[in-house]
Amino acid sequence: MSSANGCPGGCPVPRELTPPSPLSFPPTVTSEQIEHLHRRFKQLSRDQLTIRKENFDSIPDLEFNPIRGKIVHAFFDKRNLRQESDGLADEINFEDFLTIMSYFRPIEMNMDEEQLDRFRKEKLKFLFHMYDSDHDGKITLQEYRNVVEELLSGNPHLEKESARSIADGAMMEAASICGPDQVYEGITFEDFLKMWQGIDIETKMHVRFLNMDTIAHCY
Amino acid sequence: QTEPLHTVAPVILSVNWSVSHQIYLDLLWWSSFHLYHKLPSIVPESCLLILVGLLLGGIIFGAEEKSPPVMNSDVFFLYLLPPIVLDAGYFMPTRLFFENFGTIFWYAVVGTLWNAIGIGISLYGICQISAFGLTDITLLQNLLFGSLISAVDPVAVLAVFENIHVNEQLYILVFGESLLNDAITVVLYNLFKSFCQMRTIKVIDIFAGIANFFIVGIGGVLIGILLGFVAAFTTRFTHKIRVIEPLFVFLYSYLSYITAEMFHLSGIMAITACAMTMNKYVEENVSQKSYTTIKYFMKMLSSVSETLIFIFMGVSTVGKNHEWNWAFVSFTLLFCLIWRALGVFVLTQIINVFRTIPLTFKDQFIIAYGGLRGAICFSLVFLLPPAVFPRKKLFITAVIVVIFFTVFIQGITIRPLVEFLDVKRSNKKQPAVSEEIYNRFFDHVKTGIEDVCGHWGHNFWRDKFKKFDNKYLRRLLIRENQPKSSIVSLYKKLEIKHAIEMAESGMISKVPSSVSLSDYHEGKIKPLSPTEMENMREILTKNLYQIRHRTMSYNRHSLAADANEKQAKEILIRRRHSLRESLRKTNSLSRERPAAANTKRFLSLPKNTKLPEKLRVRNKTSSKVGDSSDSEMDATTTVLNLRPRAGKILRDQRLRQQRPPPDFRVEWKNEVDGSQGGRGEPQEPSALPQPSIGFRQPLLTRPRFGTLSREDMTADHGSARPTPPPRLVRQASQGERQRNKPENQPY
Repeated sequence: MSSANGCPGGCPVPRELTPPSPLSFPPTVTSEQIEHLHRRFKQLSRDQLTIRKENFDSIPDLEFNPIRGKIVHAFFDKRNLRQESDGLADEINFEDFLTIMSYFRPIEMNMDEEQLDRFRKEKLKFLFHMYDSDHDGKITLQEYRNVVEELLSGNPHLEKESARSIADGAMMEAASICGPDQVYEGITFEDFLKMWQGIDIETKMHVRFLNMDTIAHCY
Repeated sequence: QTEPLHTVAPVILSVNWSVSHQIYLDLLWWSSFHLYHKLPSIVPESCLLILVGLLLGGIIFGAEEKSPPVMNSDVFFLYLLPPIVLDAGYFMPTRLFFENFGTIFWYAVVGTLWNAIGIGISLYGICQISAFGLTDITLLQNLLFGSLISAVDPVAVLAVFENIHVNEQLYILVFGESLLNDAITVVLYNLFKSFCQMRTIKVIDIFAGIANFFIVGIGGVLIGILLGFVAAFTTRFTHKIRVIEPLFVFLYSYLSYITAEMFHLSGIMAITACAMTMNKYVEENVSQKSYTTIKYFMKMLSSVSETLIFIFMGVSTVGKNHEWNWAFVSFTLLFCLIWRALGVFVLTQIINVFRTIPLTFKDQFIIAYGGLRGAICFSLVFLLPPAVFPRKKLFITAVIVVIFFTVFIQGITIRPLVEFLDVKRSNKKQPAVSEEIYNRFFDHVKTGIEDVCGHWGHNFWRDKFKKFDNKYLRRLLIRENQPKSSIVSLYKKLEIKHAIEMAESGMISKVPSSVSLSDYHEGKIKPLSPTEMENMREILTKNLYQIRHRTMSYNRHSLAADANEKQAKEILIRRRHSLRESLRKTNSLSRERPAAANTKRFLSLPKNTKLPEKLRVRNKTSSKVGDSSDSEMDATTTVLNLRPRAGKILRDQRLRQQRPPPDFRVEWKNEVDGSQGGRGEPQEPSALPQPSIGFRQPLLTRPRFGTLSREDMTADHGSARPTPPPRLVRQASQGERQRNKPENQPY
């Protein structure tokens, strides 16, 4: 693996990348995966050191995704990048890219209960940040409605009222699980965890990094 | 005039009598068996059915001194097996199936081959030992025996796994494997049978055998898919003749089975493929009633078949066609277990490399343990030509022992084992809109990330298939192709269900006219007569039909709400708001709002419970819900009068949080009960069992309030809200008990 090629100024690509994190969440990515992702990063960034939001426009398939905005936003969300500050970064470098990708690592056999739990929490936190667009740590009804509207945005004739009522219905279900206050104050992360309790997030939320052929989708 | 039957055909009559008598008795037994709840959880149904069969067989044998009618293999393969497989294939969770398809295929093909050859060869080794008296069994015969005994049986697996509720992935692995391995079994069985009958075997024959396997499997699947499409296409035009729509479903699936068997292809795979294909498209074309009919009829057929199969197995066991040989039988059993365990273990190590979520040791154990043999082996062994297999009876005995062992011992012990190993169980809950939203959101996130990575994952192929599906298949096969978002349809389905429940319980007539919703006329609100309720129900059902089906993708087609939906919508909105109000009114003590019981209990109200005419609701200003429609009045909730002394209540609450709430029964009272201290019994049902609608109690236990002393009551009397006549009060005894607790003393 020659990381020196095509990488002006030298990109920081260590063999085992463990981003500094106070939670000691071990998102170790192997070297082949790093290489794959690096290639992809270079494609996206057109050989620059950083990626901006506009670079994501060059992925054609992403256009059809209804929550495209939220996904792209997630990449630049400083909370996901493990930086203590809040808000949006303007551009991300490869290390940040890897950090985001590490949320989608599959679980490993040798993880114990505690690690699995942390793993799961990290993944859910990523999803939570996608819902919580104003970064206040709670998903309010309005934000939920935004999510549902975006999800259903592929259907131009769907009335806004329907999307709203769906979101309301879902919030009420959430309220029945977590307590009725949540409908009004907003769903906190703990409540969010409860709601996803039944769902096997650690087994579902992963992308197969193993056999990746970076296809030149950008051009 | 023909002679009386009993002189002409005594044999036929007696057989018929005994068979039909059996069937009646068995079905009677079966229905009474289900009345006792505990039994199915300890002993799987299949065991009991076999026992019953044994009993009956014994009776018949004793009475008539000859072997009772043996299960005819033709009857089994032609009539009894297809309904079960059809039922399984129709209701199979396709998404999960395809996600795990590689693993399932691997286990089914390689696993069965491994088992068959392993058992065959090791049994041959045993047979060589002259002490056992088995030397006349050739290698080929052993291999044939191995192939038929290694078939994991879907009937038995279903019967046992049904009650233990392992997580979906395990279930689909074991079950999918049992379905798919039919192709291998059929091929191997026929292969070895023909080899046994041939003089010489050339190498080319072996390769022909391997090629045969592919042809059998893939051919079966193709026939199934083809006929599934034809069925879907046919149902596109059946809207004029709805009554026979279910018939098409059953006809075409059975046709696929028979066609495949006719060409010596795998009938089970054909019918499974047909069912899975049909399920997607037919469901959207047929009417609601047809859909229900199909579902229930299918379940009925498969239950009857399953019962009959197991009972016949029991009956056929008793009789004279046995030959017991300790060595053969015990070693067969031993090798079955060993090879299965070994096979699963080795195969899992290999397949784990390719899986993103590896299978743990517990999973492997359950997969190995869940490899039950059943009626398919049984029938196959009966089909052996006795001329070629002089020791056929020995085989029969061995097969029966293995089947009994797996079904009884493994079937009974698998449940405690699952609990002991703490295998992840599936939690069956009602589908929730929020879950659907999360799942969809999640799918999109995954797809998006995969796009960013430039990676063709599972989602990519699924997306591609969906696009192809939408563009061509659905246009062709579905009558009114209006694919709708699954979120919208699920939401509507659930809400309409709630609305129907509400209408049925008479709640709808109590809604006051002061509901102020944007867009909805107040004129529509009036008490409904029975005929009107019937109409409404029809409207709702029709709407339910139109949007009942779920599709996997959102779409860009129009989704115009027609006039019928307006009324349904109104009901839904009203219900939703009422629920929201009721939930809002539960104790948020710091907000000084009246508490309300969980809405679920309204549905259990006796009909003559008077509901409050109106309540005054204080607007909650601190809520982030800036929705004007929240501030309406809501009369469908009963208000528990809560003293607006927030601080005191808060303190009470904190103190009571330590104690687990004792069980209490709530009873409705129609007037104020003076002895209870007037209006001082606000309570929060924190210990109620879960309501069945799908709303669960809040996970944080809301403490109940103690009774209040008179002083506090009178002090706040002025600011108290008007109390509606019926209220939720605790039983007197418990109220008294609470009153005397030290924490209840007013501050």
